[in-house]
Amino acid sequence: MNKLFGEISRRDFMKFCAGTAAVLGLSEVELISKVTEVMAVAPSKPPVLWLSGQDCAGCTISLAGALNPPLSSLILDRLSLRYHEALMAGAGNVADATYEETVKEGGYVLCVEGAIPTADDRFCMIGGRPFRQMVEEASQKAGAIIAVGACAAFGGIPAAGPTGAVGTSKIIKDKTVINLPTCPVHCDHLIGTILYVLTTGKVPPMDKLGRPTMYFGELIHENCRRRYYFDNEMFLTDWNDPAQKNWCLYEKGCKGPDTYADCPVRRWNDGQNFCIDCGAGCMGCAEPEFYDGMSPLYTAESERSKNMMARKKAGLIPRVKEDVRKEVVTDGQENHG
Amino acid sequence: MGKKITVDPVTRIEGHLGITVEVENGKVKDAWSSGTMARGFEALLEGRDPRDAPFVTSRFCGVCYSVHQMASVRALDVAFGAEVPWGGTLLRNLAMGAQFIYDHVLHFYHLSALDYIDIMAVAEYQGKDKALNAVKDKVVGLVKAKDTFPLTPRYKPDEFCVRDPDMVLSSVKHYLDALAIQAKARNMGAIFGGRQPHYQSIVVGGCTQHPDVNMVAKFRTMLDEQAKFVNEVYIPDVLAFGTGPLFPLARAGLGGGHYNYLSYGGLELDKAGKDLVFPAGVMMDMDPAKMEVAPCDPQKITESVKYAWYEKDKPRHPYKGQQVFDLDRKEAYSFIKAPRYDGRSMEVGPLARMLLAKNPDVIGLLKKGAKPGVVTRHAARAIETRLMVDACYRWCDALLAEMTRPGFKIHDTAHYEPPETGEGAGFFEAPRGALGHWVKIKDHKIANYQCVVPSTWNASPRCEKQYRGQYEEALIGAPVPDPENPVNVVRVVRSFDPCLACAIHLIDPRTNEIKKFLVE
Repeated sequence: MNKLFGEISRRDFMKFCAGTAAVLGLSEVELISKVTEVMAVAPSKPPVLWLSGQDCAGCTISLAGALNPPLSSLILDRLSLRYHEALMAGAGNVADATYEETVKEGGYVLCVEGAIPTADDRFCMIGGRPFRQMVEEASQKAGAIIAVGACAAFGGIPAAGPTGAVGTSKIIKDKTVINLPTCPVHCDHLIGTILYVLTTGKVPPMDKLGRPTMYFGELIHENCRRRYYFDNEMFLTDWNDPAQKNWCLYEKGCKGPDTYADCPVRRWNDGQNFCIDCGAGCMGCAEPEFYDGMSPLYTAESERSKNMMARKKAGLIPRVKEDVRKEVVTDGQENHG
Repeated sequence: MGKKITVDPVTRIEGHLGITVEVENGKVKDAWSSGTMARGFEALLEGRDPRDAPFVTSRFCGVCYSVHQMASVRALDVAFGAEVPWGGTLLRNLAMGAQFIYDHVLHFYHLSALDYIDIMAVAEYQGKDKALNAVKDKVVGLVKAKDTFPLTPRYKPDEFCVRDPDMVLSSVKHYLDALAIQAKARNMGAIFGGRQPHYQSIVVGGCTQHPDVNMVAKFRTMLDEQAKFVNEVYIPDVLAFGTGPLFPLARAGLGGGHYNYLSYGGLELDKAGKDLVFPAGVMMDMDPAKMEVAPCDPQKITESVKYAWYEKDKPRHPYKGQQVFDLDRKEAYSFIKAPRYDGRSMEVGPLARMLLAKNPDVIGLLKKGAKPGVVTRHAARAIETRLMVDACYRWCDALLAEMTRPGFKIHDTAHYEPPETGEGAGFFEAPRGALGHWVKIKDHKIANYQCVVPSTWNASPRCEKQYRGQYEEALIGAPVPDPENPVNVVRVVRSFDPCLACAIHLIDPRTNEIKKFLVE
């Protein structure tokens, strides 16, 4: 695809997209000012076409949680959000006409939210048209295709149901699909990926599952602050007990040792909290096996959990390196970089 | 036979909805509402560990996720025999409070307001307010660049669209301000919910987030900002529109419906569960002079499949609900079943709750001549947002007090393992109205899972007695002078805050023949 508004350095992007929370705050400001700079000379705002299929709108709501940059500046100043059922002013034929025009024009970032039914097209119809057909049609002239959230990436929860729900890349085979799983999508992942694509004209480096490595390059477990307790088999069994409140959540079904995502460093909702910190554990929503392969969720009885424990017992899940841990414990704040 | 008009997709709602209306002499004579997407959630829950249900049903809807978790855990609490400690209830309620606040603000500003303003009027603003001029410059800039997506295109503004430049510009500014406010309300909820959308911490028996004083303090600080916005911006805006330029719509009772209201009641303010944010009750054929409220008895709920694509059957209680399809029945036209209370078609949601609670602000609007309908529905939603803000303050204080008690508990650990058999019903008042989940457990697994959600009540098709659903009934008489521009149709439907992914759990798509904007 064309570079839409010049180039900013890859390093800056990696800093924004990959880094720890500490790095993120600073470089994000830098990044946004750079993006604004290059966009000032761009002839027009890059168009975005957002299609929702077998979705719950959770990824839209997650995107609407963006505060830095805020959603208002994204959808009014930086992007031309042509079609998005939950946000656009028009309805019915007015909405349809916008869709047709945008698809004809091409060169947009196509965001797909929700899974696509394959058992029968009629499980998801928009304006009288099969959703599958819309995704196929819209992908043809798309500049980039982003599968937003677990459903669009790998089928998610609907894949466990009777509609034959699949992810976007199962339908679009002749083009690169950037997968941003997690249920819902993390707004940083989505915005970072859109900006990466628009400013570099490339897809970000991805793993073999199509997930950008800047967000999905490490196991949750590698950055888990409860890892010491996993290593020492101190598993939380009672949520009431203050002594246990920071212990490993394996017994409660945490799939962190088997899930690639940066939640522990990025956290959620502007850094407020995330699944492990709140005591519930990771349900593996960034992995293609989610949801069926992670069920049952809130207990260690799944095959996945049993395998994890077997691997731990066999010494296949390494402990936190003794020296690293000591450094953190003794030097505290100063060692975060 | 009038002209048939179909609006599909109805945008700025959750889910995929098509609405067909028959228009005669410029008014809606009849209406049909139809959902167009399914995932089969209840089916995929069968045979699962029951503790998966709150997590999975949360994904019914990414807008009102938490209330499904709440109804689901309440059903499981009953089935497991769990007694949720007061601490656990408080944590759950605080998380729900954040849901209500964000959800109502989002609905008014981002999903509805664009139906009531002519956004292009901002260009005529002559005032000196710096902040307003910045917004004006932004919108004018978009127009000059010929790129006003997603604010346009849209249906043409009609005579009810507000054109006063000051009022329009301040609403556009509030639209933008509210984008941040609704996001921050969700962040507030994440303090106890783990993350949003889709809380992680709400489990059978209580909540997993062990609270500390800093969390409560942070919640309160964030709540202060929400309270300020709700009291100083949201409610004044709704009342300025509703008692000002939109008052003719309020007086005409656009989008009235059946005037039958139902609330399960919920959100305990005290440990005994006597004092509730929303009282339970039922009101039939509302008479403003009497406002008679009867107790709500969930045993009187039945679901009709007469006009839904299921095997012909008599209306049944949700515990006995069936999902056997018959796709060849010509009379069926929706994937949504038709829930009825005592055989009647009920409205659920903020207006129902505030009327049943005889909320003085809403009653005051009726006394001024407003009728139940689109405008009062928006007003009731804003007014109950304030109730929710106030409740959150009380829950914060109650939590701080509870945390000091020796043996402070947030979870019933003794009842976390699924029983061999059991059943339970979980009721909750969601932002969109009365929500019920019914679960049956056999061999420690889910044997049957049924939900009757707010948008099933409101978006339902007709039943044996030919009572229309709420959307359908509310549309009757709505003015549609220009069939190309059915703006009142979307106003009426959006005033209910539709949530279609919730309403359709298990459907089969056969005979879905909705055409896009078909004018016969």
